[in-house]
Amino acid sequence: MRNKSAFTKRLASSLIALVCVVLAGGFLAAALVRYSPGFDSIPEDLLHISPTALQALREERASENSLPRFYARYLKAAVQGDLGISESLRIPVTDLIRDRAPVTALLILFGTAGGWLLGGLLAWAAVWTRRPALEAFAFSISGLLLAVPPAVLALAFFFYEAPLSLALSLALLPRVFGTMRALLDCYASPALLAARARGTGPFTIATRYVFRVAAPQLIALLGVALVLAFGSAIPIEALCGVPGLGALALQAAIARDMPLLCGLALLITFFVTFIHAAGELVIGE
Amino acid sequence: MKKILRSAALAVLLAVLLCALFAPAIAPYDYSRQFRDVPNAPASHQFPMGTDDLGRDRLSRLLYATRISIFLAPAAALISILIALLLSAASQGGAVSGFTTLCLSLPWIFLFIVLRSVLPLNTRPLASILITFGLMGIAGWAWPARIFTASIRQMKQSGWLLQARASGISNPRIAIAHAWPHLRAIAVAQFRILVPAYILSEASLGLLGLGVAEPLPSWGNLLAELQHPARVHDNPWLLAPLALLMMVMISLEVLA
Repeated sequence: MRNKSAFTKRLASSLIALVCVVLAGGFLAAALVRYSPGFDSIPEDLLHISPTALQALREERASENSLPRFYARYLKAAVQGDLGISESLRIPVTDLIRDRAPVTALLILFGTAGGWLLGGLLAWAAVWTRRPALEAFAFSISGLLLAVPPAVLALAFFFYEAPLSLALSLALLPRVFGTMRALLDCYASPALLAARARGTGPFTIATRYVFRVAAPQLIALLGVALVLAFGSAIPIEALCGVPGLGALALQAAIARDMPLLCGLALLITFFVTFIHAAGELVIGE
Repeated sequence: MKKILRSAALAVLLAVLLCALFAPAIAPYDYSRQFRDVPNAPASHQFPMGTDDLGRDRLSRLLYATRISIFLAPAAALISILIALLLSAASQGGAVSGFTTLCLSLPWIFLFIVLRSVLPLNTRPLASILITFGLMGIAGWAWPARIFTASIRQMKQSGWLLQARASGISNPRIAIAHAWPHLRAIAVAQFRILVPAYILSEASLGLLGLGVAEPLPSWGNLLAELQHPARVHDNPWLLAPLALLMMVMISLEVLA
């Protein structure tokens, strides 16, 4: 009963935090649109009216577009699924996000899964075999990949027509390997060494002792890996012509398409905060 | 073995730093001088790494690029640490903590391109350097801030701080004489983490065309030439910036 109440409390505080961060993100996004250059400009066909009328029009617009009012309008529309119209593409932002999100989601999903698999295998091999040479090899691979910009990795994969999600996996590998290697250190603890000496198999040790203990940190790592994957996906998509959200974000930045950038900021803030909140809920911190 | 590796890393970094520092003396030509009769020339005695599209000497550009990338990344890291330290010290309340959470919620590169989009894209080269590294410093404050905030919070509950306050020592003196020595180690650790991260970030931004503007060279905009695979095949020296970047990054990792 007490556990249930504690979980409800955690759930409520996570939800409040999620809403607050997304609202704050939305406010910053709206402020960005509101104060972007050219926002208050008067259409050319109205420029011929008298200076007094022009001044009155400017004042009316300024009062209409004060930041709180503007944000309230933006938020109301956003709740109804209307994030405005892209200035550069002349397409509703919601439609653009709906079209592009699956591409990025697939890239991130496969990239993160691959990064976890490769990083985890490398960490496990280094710990399980307890061979210094293998451990040195694992650290070298990880260090080497950490030194290459993900965009360069992606270019190489693109030119050799290899899957780009694998480039993303390799970009994530060092981060996953580093954390997993630290978590698996308990494998060398006296208790688990004794278990191995008594003939307990590696699978049993891994599932019953190692991963059960490390589960909370692994869930937290999954959240971090997803966020890192999204960050790495931006240059990968932009340079390799993948029609995803990353390429869209760069296009919006270059065209100074504020409504599109704001829609993306709102979505990404929600996505990342949701992952963090879900991780914290599962971990129970 | 570790000692040998560390010595090798230190030697590599020293060599790169010296090359960057004395680039004007070592470089055969100015980074922007164009030899229009020999664009895309292969490596030769006159141009040890060949020339680019505009006939500019690649070796000279690489030396000057090293100067920009290697000296400005630490400057950006210092800006981040300074902002983080000031914000963490000034407020332990919810507003700063909430803002930190918000900044941590956005992938760093996305935050950068959002901030970059607000500023003009066609800027003078010098302004582009300041914008790139300044924004890096501003956008990257959140991670160190979280660490500083936790440390300062812990410090505020410690006995020595209570005793110092009870003894009537002023807040600025507590901050400078007592708290800073505790925070210095964290600041140094954060600096060591941020410098390679910023070097790598500049490379990614340069590849995307959002970094240092031409004709100024940086590792990022030199790496942009890798987008033409046929050229890499014809002139492997195009990989030199990548090799140098990797050498510096690995050396920094070994030393960290």
